[in-house]
Amino acid sequence: MDNYNVIAGVSFTGSRLAEYREFLHKRGLKDEGDCDYTVMILDEDYVPVACGSLSGSVMKQIAVDDTVEGAGLCAKVVSELQNEAARRGKSHLFLYTKPENKRMFTSMGFSVMAETDSVLMMENRRDGLKRFLDSIGKRGGKSACIVCNCNPMTKGHQYLMETAAANCDNLYIFVLSEDGGGDNFPPDVRYELVKGGTAHIKNAIVCHSDEYLISRSTFPAYFLKDTIDVELVRADLDLILFATRIAPALGITARYVGTEPYDAVTRRYNERMHEILPKYGIEVIEIPRKDNISASRVRALLKEGKFAEIKELVPENVYEYLSGNFAHDA
Amino acid sequence: MELKTTGIAGTMESSDIQIVLEPRTEGGIEVSLTSNVMNQFGKQIVKVIRETLADLKVENAYVNAVDKGALDCTIKARVQAAAYRAAESDEYVWRTKA
Repeated sequence: MDNYNVIAGVSFTGSRLAEYREFLHKRGLKDEGDCDYTVMILDEDYVPVACGSLSGSVMKQIAVDDTVEGAGLCAKVVSELQNEAARRGKSHLFLYTKPENKRMFTSMGFSVMAETDSVLMMENRRDGLKRFLDSIGKRGGKSACIVCNCNPMTKGHQYLMETAAANCDNLYIFVLSEDGGGDNFPPDVRYELVKGGTAHIKNAIVCHSDEYLISRSTFPAYFLKDTIDVELVRADLDLILFATRIAPALGITARYVGTEPYDAVTRRYNERMHEILPKYGIEVIEIPRKDNISASRVRALLKEGKFAEIKELVPENVYEYLSGNFAHDA
Repeated sequence: MELKTTGIAGTMESSDIQIVLEPRTEGGIEVSLTSNVMNQFGKQIVKVIRETLADLKVENAYVNAVDKGALDCTIKARVQAAAYRAAESDEYVWRTKA
């Protein structure tokens, strides 16, 4: 390792960036341009031989030159990225790779979360998923689930939850833990509002999704052929993770979903859900959207300060929160 | 010593060990080890990790260790560094009088 030089930085620019991109290109990869941090290892003549990047909690664009394979450079890159992530307070990391790299990453302490023919999704906690599932706990009887963003919770969500809860013994409600930033409500607020809005549903179990359900963790397009639809692969991975790991551990046999008239990506995701989940013995039940209520409409009304209209669309506790926190001009 | 955050030390290079320590409120020490010398030295590595944490009076923690053939002294040093980082403490006692 003595003769190698390591350079690392928040984002490369100029000739260094060009060099990085050229190296990736030679390895058949592409820079997606959304990296927070990049590590590149150069040989004694300052020629790049290995690299890797961090984008949020996802490690990506990890590549090693053929000529130095076996010298442990991949492990060095991964170590550097993990250390940097730790300095930023992120210890739970993910990566997507080709199935043939399974052994290599397993030897670096990663474990498989979900696997399809073309892609492998791994995390750096050996029992992360198991710990997450244990913390929720399995309950007896017929279990169903809803996965939602609830940004913020509306009467439409509430109706879907009430309908689902009436048809099972336990209803797991996973509120997405990802922080969308911008105009979006923070995960903890969304979670609390769902808790309040479902307090009357005795068999509802409200949970954080952590990173295990529909994580928007930027999916790497770089090793996929152009012909493969990235969103589709991402949806499939998420659904396979749900069907093979999460649902069996919690005894979930049905997933409820509202119809999606507006958003094309969500609609396609729902279509894949209908195709994939029944193969694993999970029923997908689509409930027509109540009065076409949408959370984005609520957010738009909030911007305009139209609280009388918001009141019609959201549960009481959500209205209280919104009027209490945003109605300063009223 | 009480762990406040995640502490990480070491690398995954040959002869080193990477230790990630995560706080836990109860349940003792849980070690998850990946090693390329698991069959020969797995038990010994876990023993060193546990003893080092016991010396530091860390009672509850998740330990994720990725070993690449580290010697006991390396393991001990890495666990100590990770623990101090996780405890956000800089009160190292580098030398104690005999």
